[in-house]
Amino acid sequence: MKEAAFAFFSLFTLLTAAGVVLSRGVVYSAFNLVLSLFGLAILYLLWGASFISMIQILIYAGAIVVLFVFVVMLLNLEKPQDIAPPWIRGILTGVSVWGLCFILLRVFSRSFGEMPSVEPQKASVRMISQLLFSQYLWPFEILTVFLLALIVGIYMLARPERETPHESP
Amino acid sequence: MSLLEKLNSIDYWTHFVAVGLFGLGLLGFLIRRNALVVLMCLELMLNAVNLVLVELSLKTGTSEGIILVVFVITVAAAEVAVGLAIILNLYRLKKTVDIGVFKNLTR
Repeated sequence: MKEAAFAFFSLFTLLTAAGVVLSRGVVYSAFNLVLSLFGLAILYLLWGASFISMIQILIYAGAIVVLFVFVVMLLNLEKPQDIAPPWIRGILTGVSVWGLCFILLRVFSRSFGEMPSVEPQKASVRMISQLLFSQYLWPFEILTVFLLALIVGIYMLARPERETPHESP
Repeated sequence: MSLLEKLNSIDYWTHFVAVGLFGLGLLGFLIRRNALVVLMCLELMLNAVNLVLVELSLKTGTSEGIILVVFVITVAAAEVAVGLAIILNLYRLKKTVDIGVFKNLTR
């Protein structure tokens, strides 16, 4: 039963990810991205990582994709203009990407098969937060400073241009 | 391992979906010309890596993978915010988001 659910949501995630890449309009890509990220959240839930699943939904589907949709609305793009690549480059890209996928799949099946299989544990909020506030305290604090710098940087990047600049070079 | 066993193991499905997501993200990153879709494909690749990290962490009973996933999600959100701000600026400059147009950073 669990395997069937896993298979279903794996295929769902992959199909909607293909929708992100292949659909013409940017808004369709964004909505396919939401569905794909929801599918991934359910996969995390099936693995037993419920906290990761929750922050996947909250941050990715709740913040990142909303940001994408807002920017799409701000940009006021005309018709969906997506030029297909020249076919030699397209074929080269496709062959190399699927070759990479094949190699990755082989590496996974070889190296993960030899791993000693422990009983799968659950990633509880208690475990994550205890680690985050003891062993990984400094990375966590650096991340907060990083987010502060991010806010300032994004304001500098995205603020509206002034009509009359203070100084002209 | 026979095909039926493969289809019945969630490990196999996890690897399949992680590799498929990474491949699709890379494909979109290379062939799409809309800068917004390129950013979305970047997100797909990050998510593929996250899935493998969660699986590895839970299977081996260690917790480093989960912590790393928390950090990766935070940095991914930051990266999207900066990327979208840059795209907004580029749109103001050239009135398009086609990445083929952006050959230099000046007016």
